[in-house]
Amino acid sequence: MDIVVNLFHGLLTALQPSNFGTMLIGLAVGVVAGALPGISFVNAMAMALPFTYLMTPLSAMVFLGGIYAGGVFGGSISSILINIPGTPASLPSCWDGFPMTRRGEAARALTLAIAASATGGLASALLLSFAAPPFARLALAFDQPEFFAATFLGLVSIIAIAKSTPWISLVSLFCGIVVGSVGVDPLYGLPRLTFGIRSLQNGINFVVVMIGLFALGEVLEMLGQRHHLQGATNKVRMRFPSVRELWALKGAAARGTGIGCMIGMIPGAGATVGAVIAYGVEKQASPRGAEFGTGVEAGLVAPEAAKNATTGAAMIPLLTLGIPGSAATAIMLAALVLHGVTPGPLLFAAQTDMLYTIFASLLLANLCMIGAGVVVARGFASLMRVPPTILGAFIVVLSVVGAFGVRNNIADVYICLSFGVIGYLMKRYDFPSAPLVLGVILGPLAERYFMTSLANYDNNLTIFFTRPISATILGFASLFVLWALIPDIKGKVLRLLSGRTRAR
Amino acid sequence: MTSRRFSKMAVLAAALTLTATTLTQAQEKYPSRPVDIVVTFGPGGGADAMGRKMSLLLEKQLGVPFPVSNVGGASGNAGLTKVLTAAPDGYTVATLIALTVSSWASGLGSAKVEDFAIVAVTQDSPSLLFVPRDSPFKTFKDLLEFSKSNPGKLKVATSGYGTQDDITLKYFSARGYKLTNVPFAKPAERYASTVGMHTDAIYEEPGDVAPFLAAGQLRPLVVFDDERHPAFRSTPASKELGFEISDLPNFRTIAVSAKTPPDKIKKLADAVNAALDTPEWKKFCSATYTCASHRYTPAQAQTYVKAFQDKVKGYLATFR
Repeated sequence: MDIVVNLFHGLLTALQPSNFGTMLIGLAVGVVAGALPGISFVNAMAMALPFTYLMTPLSAMVFLGGIYAGGVFGGSISSILINIPGTPASLPSCWDGFPMTRRGEAARALTLAIAASATGGLASALLLSFAAPPFARLALAFDQPEFFAATFLGLVSIIAIAKSTPWISLVSLFCGIVVGSVGVDPLYGLPRLTFGIRSLQNGINFVVVMIGLFALGEVLEMLGQRHHLQGATNKVRMRFPSVRELWALKGAAARGTGIGCMIGMIPGAGATVGAVIAYGVEKQASPRGAEFGTGVEAGLVAPEAAKNATTGAAMIPLLTLGIPGSAATAIMLAALVLHGVTPGPLLFAAQTDMLYTIFASLLLANLCMIGAGVVVARGFASLMRVPPTILGAFIVVLSVVGAFGVRNNIADVYICLSFGVIGYLMKRYDFPSAPLVLGVILGPLAERYFMTSLANYDNNLTIFFTRPISATILGFASLFVLWALIPDIKGKVLRLLSGRTRAR
Repeated sequence: MTSRRFSKMAVLAAALTLTATTLTQAQEKYPSRPVDIVVTFGPGGGADAMGRKMSLLLEKQLGVPFPVSNVGGASGNAGLTKVLTAAPDGYTVATLIALTVSSWASGLGSAKVEDFAIVAVTQDSPSLLFVPRDSPFKTFKDLLEFSKSNPGKLKVATSGYGTQDDITLKYFSARGYKLTNVPFAKPAERYASTVGMHTDAIYEEPGDVAPFLAAGQLRPLVVFDDERHPAFRSTPASKELGFEISDLPNFRTIAVSAKTPPDKIKKLADAVNAALDTPEWKKFCSATYTCASHRYTPAQAQTYVKAFQDKVKGYLATFR
């Protein structure tokens, strides 16, 4: 009951013009930054950090929260409209969102994505408001083996979601893991795979790889084939889905939201892992799983709900324990610390008003996102009437700026350009690029968690199977692999059998 | 006609000379554009807090922005590579902290003290050993006795191999108290592991775990220093328990490439030292228990860091 009263007070404070306005500005900045290929919401939050120095701690958090919620959604606008993920977490939204655009259902795809994102975001903001302390204890029960298991689940779900044969996806995934391990080893500090090039010691950042493969690769492909993006969108019938259609997708949205909330709480995993796992699970759970990748609504709704469901959940360990689980929440922590506010259990006792205002404004942000999303999506849809050469030049500029902005490093721009060429070749020869990017993202994480787990548990490899949570997650992972491979193996066995009978 | 053209030309020439002079003057003024602060650890840790606070205060001192970028990994060596590969023009500065220096002494990374010019020592603090609230160990002696009869059973969360954390654990191992080092690259994960009781203890300076101390989630057992810490009067110092491991304080500095022109280093050093005297900084450093005990000129700071590296090397030699 206390919580409801607190939340109501928070809502009143959050609706004050200054707070509400700050949140709306943050939301708009987030959606636009997220939608621009190359500029991720993490960039936007990092750039906004200096502005928060001038604000009160409350407005700073409301502002950053707005950018966070808006940015996580915004990435999907460019995924759906031009097949270029605006942020890494929007990668799965390309797989069924863009085919819908190709069919001339861009408006429908965008509306579904906005509705799903808002649902996921609202659910996790409610979870944060009502259940933060108990869930924080759950987050503490996770140790390195569990982090490893969750990351591993993300890795194997790539096999399950693959459009091409699992084996080719595995090759692509391993290439990504190799790219991700370039740089300085996280435990011993020794350079590897750097070939004596000093700037490679900084490692290859996954955002840089993603911008190169998808944004630059797509532009090269677009210009090379002279295929017009507008060709796809000319026949946009602005048909919005009916309430009944939305309701029919409640299962997919609920599964995505649940997965997103769980993954969001785990420090280190974040929106990308949540969206990828949600897509994989949905592909197995949906009756239309086999058609995924051709523009199935459930395949768009589930990852959309999941990635926004990670936002509120990721703030649980941040606010209750002072432990930031992702780059975005780490920036929020920096903003709080600079204002002399130390998040942790004491925050709940000492600054209840501020906390519940943050919760309330996160709820509001997810509601207002529907409006902001529609406005920005309209703007972007008209961008697609721009001739491809001009749009291409625009995307190249953004990509270079984005690659540089990740770490203010010029070497990253060269790496990004190289991956642009690689991305184009991969598209040409139909070699899947998504597993490679996920390998670059998840490979180093998995390695770090694996090594620290071993250090903490006497180099005992069985630890991953004897700890209950870790074992459960790994169990899911093996189910995933089996499920994905069964049709393949079954086909082979059948062919083998029929071959034998014929030979007789 | 001719004279008019001539006078026009003269005016033009004069204008050009003027512009040229202002241009050269602008080039000589340092800093005249934003200076990058490379924080050599991920967001949320002590080096990050220092870098971001310095960024604010240096902007006030020098009038240009000091944007922060986090380049974490490999005990800070990944970020330093960036400073060494950037042009030595004073527009890339880094946080260089004790942990990274001790990693060089242990033979990790490829950098050395001589590659850097230390601008100023901004913070120093002794480290402590903390246990979670519900830990069975009430005193440091309890913990040591347990480790004697259960060698290697106790896990201590640290910031990496070859750091002063590692050296301190090796120091006790060499005396029959074998503790296992569990390295965490991300500070947040390190704190979570001990607060969540996945590791038995954590080696850390008090400022970094201040929220957990305030909430009572971590308890200090011992401070690795000659004397007790003013903020933790009831926690014994290692020296009074008979252990000589008090000369490995955690310190943080601001450093640039050694090839940076000396006048730029001096300008930076003056600004950093002036920032250390502001009330804003004093409030920050006392809240994090890290106020530097001395002010150092760049030359003294360089000697201080070099001496620390030699000390670490000395310790490591005795363990072999």
